Amino acid sequence: MRNILLIAQREYKEQVRGRTFLITTILLPAVFAGVFYLSFLSGKHSGTDKHIAIACSDPALAAEIRTEILSDTDAHSTVDLFTAEMPGMLMDSDRSKLVSEVDSKAIDGFFWVDVPATGPIQATYEAQTAGDFVTSERLQSALNHALLRGRLVEHGISAAAADSLLKTVKVDTRQIKNGKEVTSNAVSSFYSAYIMALLLTMTTMIYGLNVGRSVIQEKTSRIFEVMLATVKAGDMLTGKLIGIGAVGLTQILIWIAAGAIFAGSALGAQYLTGNLQIHISLLQIVLFAVYFLLGYTLNSALFAGLGATLETEQELQQYSPLAALPVWLSFSMILLISTNPNSIWVVAASLFPPCTPIVMFLRMGSQMPPLWQIGASIALMLLAIWAVLWFSTRLYRIGILMYGKRATLPEMMRWLRYS
Amino acid sequence: MPVVELAAVTKAYQDKVAVNQLSFRIEPGQMFGLLGPNGSGKTSSIRMMIGITAPDSGSITLFDQPFTRSSLTRVGYLPEERGLYKKMKVLDQLIFMGSLRGLSTDEAQKRAIAWAKKLDIAHSILKKTEELSKGMQQKIQFISALIHEPELIIMDEPFSGLDPVNATLLQDTLLEQKAQGKTILFSTHRMDQVEKLCDSIALIHQGNLVLSGGVREIKSRYKRDRVIVEFSGDDSFLRSPEIAQAKNYSGHAEIQLKENGDAQKLLVEAVSKATIYRFELMEPSLEEIFIQTVGGKVDA
Repeated sequence: MRNILLIAQREYKEQVRGRTFLITTILLPAVFAGVFYLSFLSGKHSGTDKHIAIACSDPALAAEIRTEILSDTDAHSTVDLFTAEMPGMLMDSDRSKLVSEVDSKAIDGFFWVDVPATGPIQATYEAQTAGDFVTSERLQSALNHALLRGRLVEHGISAAAADSLLKTVKVDTRQIKNGKEVTSNAVSSFYSAYIMALLLTMTTMIYGLNVGRSVIQEKTSRIFEVMLATVKAGDMLTGKLIGIGAVGLTQILIWIAAGAIFAGSALGAQYLTGNLQIHISLLQIVLFAVYFLLGYTLNSALFAGLGATLETEQELQQYSPLAALPVWLSFSMILLISTNPNSIWVVAASLFPPCTPIVMFLRMGSQMPPLWQIGASIALMLLAIWAVLWFSTRLYRIGILMYGKRATLPEMMRWLRYS
Repeated sequence: MPVVELAAVTKAYQDKVAVNQLSFRIEPGQMFGLLGPNGSGKTSSIRMMIGITAPDSGSITLFDQPFTRSSLTRVGYLPEERGLYKKMKVLDQLIFMGSLRGLSTDEAQKRAIAWAKKLDIAHSILKKTEELSKGMQQKIQFISALIHEPELIIMDEPFSGLDPVNATLLQDTLLEQKAQGKTILFSTHRMDQVEKLCDSIALIHQGNLVLSGGVREIKSRYKRDRVIVEFSGDDSFLRSPEIAQAKNYSGHAEIQLKENGDAQKLLVEAVSKATIYRFELMEPSLEEIFIQTVGGKVDA
């Protein structure tokens, strides 16, 4: 045990003193915070500051649509009313004129609303940016709203009463946790869990790969032969896993402490409101540490065994998609997880050990999974760790003394038999 | 009571037998040479002695006990494949290695500094290992193997890659250790080094024991049939009927006598024809003995 701790201590000191630790400790959360803030801002500002022209054969409807659009003050839109050559009628020459205005960037797009005497209204939004769904949605809503208002007035309802009837209500989403309604909104809860899932992904992957890299470095520096004359291969591996895992935990603790300090500061109070409000429970923090340790051990056991069969860090790099595979799988289910966190597929994914840490945290963003599922996922992860460690320690014991070339699959099978 | 004893040890990797029925024993206080060309099974034998690998059959005892890992704290090992943590400072590295072998941090530090002074690397003790020359790194490895004052020292090719000054320094250090009563196993393919240093040897070839015993005793088994002559004047004595083969390098002749050639007769003939400065009847070197024994087909 003393030797395991000495090895763990050495690994810990070497990694914590390294430049990589400093860089990832500061940069990783900074990059995440930056990416999330940017995506939040881009969501908030998408479809804003548009200069649009409305071409409508019904001038009154055009004015109504314009009023509707301008009522959304967050959109900061500029809306012109296009005057058709022939009042009350839209012609191809009008369209050509508007197209050339878009082409010359005088306007961002135009909303073409043809109201025939009989038949359905034809409406199109034409712009240079084909994917501007936000503006398209906004125009559709404004048109329908204006039409509905007009029809209500036609049916003898006063304009004021129509406005009152059509007044929209903003729906706030609140979450019920343990029978209590929490003050945060669902979006912020989801974002908090999403960030935690991402951090968990990055740390377990980075530190898992670090173990693989460390094994290869020791193999190429030929330190193993000296070490094995003193300690057992199993003790070396255990010490390494503990040491590097402790580095990961240290980094997470630094982030939690820094996050708590920021959240408690005046600056944090100013920024972390509404959808950016952080809502992390104590249970989530505890589970974060638990799932980090489990995810890290699973990844690092895998990469320690793999590292022992390889010769260079470049070779290890080729296997990194192996660690990324569960991440891709988990994040590809994000829509299903957020809308239906208790569906059979989501529950199955959260109980599949390589995906467990990420999917569980994404589920927590929508709804706290039942405790039995959390317990089962931890038990299954422990089982998976045991199985991976069984293979890895056998590969490790022999692989670390094999120099010169990457081991082939038949060789690895032989090593498993020797052990 | 032998410090190390191998009895009929065999180790095979796939279809290659690395060590075959190998037996020898090393007595306390001996400097023992494990000799053989590259790939003969020396490193495989050492790895089994210290538990890095296990023998397929046969038995190994260390300090008169069946092998246990706890006895490794009494062993110092310098492997052929040198290995150090490159990013670690020299002192930290030596303290770490000493601690793994049971020393307290303070004791390991004290000994590391003393050894660094002795081997003239005190000025580099706070540097990272990767900043040091290969020779310096080898000295650190050497200290690392000896820092816990082991009773059995195993050195696999300890002088390879060292300049003559440093090789002599480490050689003297090993002799000091021997004088202190330590048992030393010295593995090399350089048989000339062993002749000077070792009391006993085991000579292996392709995993098999070819020769073993005391160096003097082994050498005495072989006839002295080589003569070195330094002379000036008439060299016609080099065509004497006693000689099987002679090479003359301008007054320095290396002579192989015939099966029953008489060195004394040759000396008389040489003196009668030339001025003789040196006439030495040489004993065969270990290398020659080895080549004679295995038939000359070695890659050393």
